[in-house]
Amino acid sequence: MAEAAINTGRASQSECLYCRTQSAGPHFCSECGKIQPVVAGSDYFSFFHLPRRLCIDESELEKSFYALSRQFHPDYFMSASAEERQASIECSSMLNDAYRTLRNPVARAKYLLTLEGYKEAEKKAPPDLLEEVFELNMQIEELRAAKKTGDEDEAAEARSSLEEALIDLHKKLQGIDERLFALFEDWDSILGRDATADGKKPLLDRMSELLSHRSYIRNLVRDIKEEL
Amino acid sequence: MPVIELSMSGRPKSGRVVGIDLGTTNSLVAYMSDNGAEVIRDASGNGLVPSIVYYDHEQDRLLVGEEARDRLITEPRKAIYSVKRFMGKGSADVQEDLSLVPFQIAPGSEQVIGFQMGDRVFTPPEISAFILRDLKRRASQFFGEEVSQAVITVPAYFNDAQRQATKDAGHLAGLEVLRIVNEPTAASLAYGIDKRDEAIVAVYDLGGGTFDISILKLKEGIFEVLSTNGDTHLGGDDLDNELITLVLDEIERSTGRRPDHDPGAFQAIRKAVIRAKHELSESQSTTIEIDLGAQHGGQYQRELTLVEFDRVVGNLVERTLGPCKKALKDADLDPEQIDEVIMVGGSTRIPLVRRKVKELFKREPHVELNPDEVVAIGAAIQADVLAGGRRDLLLLDVTPLSLGIETMGGVIAKIINRNSTIPASASEMFTTWVDNQTGIDVHVVQGEREMVSDCRSLAKFTLKGIPPQPAGLPRIEVRFLIDANGILTVSARDQRTGQEHSIEVKPSYGLTDEQIEKMLIDSFEFAEEDVRRRQLVEARNEAETVMRAAAKALEERAQGLIDEGERTAIRQALDDLRQAVAGDDYQLIRERIKALDDASQHLAEIIMDGALVAALKDRKASEVAEG
Repeated sequence: MAEAAINTGRASQSECLYCRTQSAGPHFCSECGKIQPVVAGSDYFSFFHLPRRLCIDESELEKSFYALSRQFHPDYFMSASAEERQASIECSSMLNDAYRTLRNPVARAKYLLTLEGYKEAEKKAPPDLLEEVFELNMQIEELRAAKKTGDEDEAAEARSSLEEALIDLHKKLQGIDERLFALFEDWDSILGRDATADGKKPLLDRMSELLSHRSYIRNLVRDIKEEL
Repeated sequence: MPVIELSMSGRPKSGRVVGIDLGTTNSLVAYMSDNGAEVIRDASGNGLVPSIVYYDHEQDRLLVGEEARDRLITEPRKAIYSVKRFMGKGSADVQEDLSLVPFQIAPGSEQVIGFQMGDRVFTPPEISAFILRDLKRRASQFFGEEVSQAVITVPAYFNDAQRQATKDAGHLAGLEVLRIVNEPTAASLAYGIDKRDEAIVAVYDLGGGTFDISILKLKEGIFEVLSTNGDTHLGGDDLDNELITLVLDEIERSTGRRPDHDPGAFQAIRKAVIRAKHELSESQSTTIEIDLGAQHGGQYQRELTLVEFDRVVGNLVERTLGPCKKALKDADLDPEQIDEVIMVGGSTRIPLVRRKVKELFKREPHVELNPDEVVAIGAAIQADVLAGGRRDLLLLDVTPLSLGIETMGGVIAKIINRNSTIPASASEMFTTWVDNQTGIDVHVVQGEREMVSDCRSLAKFTLKGIPPQPAGLPRIEVRFLIDANGILTVSARDQRTGQEHSIEVKPSYGLTDEQIEKMLIDSFEFAEEDVRRRQLVEARNEAETVMRAAAKALEERAQGLIDEGERTAIRQALDDLRQAVAGDDYQLIRERIKALDDASQHLAEIIMDGALVAALKDRKASEVAEG
């Protein structure tokens, strides 16, 4: 339950804005119960009181999201002080941003990478796809040209081979997602063993690479679909 | 006597709160009664206020609603309608809309449209404020106390500027806008869908001039908008126009003349086809009868069957289905996954519309509530939630459009994606390009396209006062925050110094605070006029009551109780008051009410005594019986 989660989170360093209680709880003061501004330096995981694991129970996350929404939403602070209203907007926008990111596995992994100091990797074609990409771009060009000249047969031919390619690309995407999820599990298990930076790095590197391939293929799929 | 009444949550009771549906064609106001939400109606039971404002600059006369609509045909240059289409827009955005209306646009309308009316210019928020003020007055009269807070609904796709313009209109009308709520969300509240644990809801809203489809997800009392789509130029008016064309064609065929430039004849045709349309929601056929006057061939009459009607409007109804399918696709849903379909807008009474919607969603749509009123009803429910701090219901709205900033070469970097739950925020780091640069220009846009020229400019501002440093060294974090009403605020912080930067956000469209202040001052003169009108209405109402009572007493009871002299005096006072009521001097009416009161005082006393004696007699009888 989300209620429980709120109290088991890491102790806040901050002092309550209103009653000056030291180490007031996160989000709400343990003494006076008033809403607190977002703790400086919190990230989306810590905001939800989650460790930086990648396998997340999405229905549990949704439950926490709804429960916290009911605690933070500005609707409930309409006649509160300006500070509390501000804190409520801060907390609920952080909550919404965090939920949006964490509920999607890919966005979640990308976010973890930025937390671990990775820049967003450029979209790169997977090496085993380089030749195919060249071929596909040619076919896209052919389709475009055939459409222009009104050559129906040529267009139909290009279309069918592109459609075939799409099926293949979707399979590749699936493969990437499977490998990515396997990495998620590896990551979670080394986290449990207090991994060192050296232990983490190879996993993160591979994740970053897979994500870059993934984006590349998705762009390609989008381009093909647009042309079809 | 308690000075301030405190409710349980510790908030001072600050008067009544209402929900307002500020529509393109009609507007309504509703409130939460002990028996649930109800629309506030006028004396004749009408809840709809046509969203039309008439202004005559020669007489400095302002009319709103029904009265303004009556003048729309005879003095079209003096009335503004469909103002909702122009909210939060500059003239370049609405070329098409402007070509469809006869309004005269004032010079300098690039950022905020100004309607030239005689020697005065009104902006869309001001015109909307006149409508809101009328609704506010209606509600205040109903409660007998000033209404100062409201929830106002807008279409789900309204962008920041349009929402802000709506809020400005509320402010100008003297209303504190507690919340801007999406219309489909309000409609779902009206149907109590929030009581379900989990549901996907489609809201089909075919109004007078616009069509909107929205797909919402409800879970544990929280609403999320999944997708929206629609057609901003498709509504009941278009159906009317199809029928008008049909009639005009037939008249032309039989008389050789097309009476579309005769306002009187045109109006008669319009009224007749609207009546026929309404009747065909209840029956299989109807008769259109129009007296066109001798020059257009006299009487026009024809039978119109439902089958024929369906054929005439079929294409228009069909056009609503495309946006529905797109909305389903955007929400990544099949029609079968929709749990509830809600019908909003008068045109959803048309059997063909209901049939088509049912076919598409494979589900019987909700039509139990008055489709003209559901949005206002929902707004009243939300207003009650906000005023009372109830926690059982929470609306989580989303931004309808992505928020982005302009980067090098006019390319947009998206920072908050559309359909993000609000409040939502994003931070972006800015730095300098040349040594010792002390200011950075930031351009915020809203839209889904990649290039700045295809998106809508929201605001431009300059980060100022950056200490002179080598290029690329300063790190200014700019925070964009979209609040629960979908309205953007921006703040900036120097990452090195921790210093907050002053940002003056100049909205690209919309009104500045100074402009609003000026409008508030300008509106006082109309407020004066409003007070006079209200006084007159109240005085007349009171006079009617007093006259009815006096006439009744005179007729039924006066015989034998008072002498002929007194009776004549009362009759005279009655006549005098009747005359005053016909005029519009409320002070005179008040004086004559008093005169009639004085003249009938004696009679009233006698009647009262008589009633008392009778009551005493009854009581004695009953006491005797009991004893």
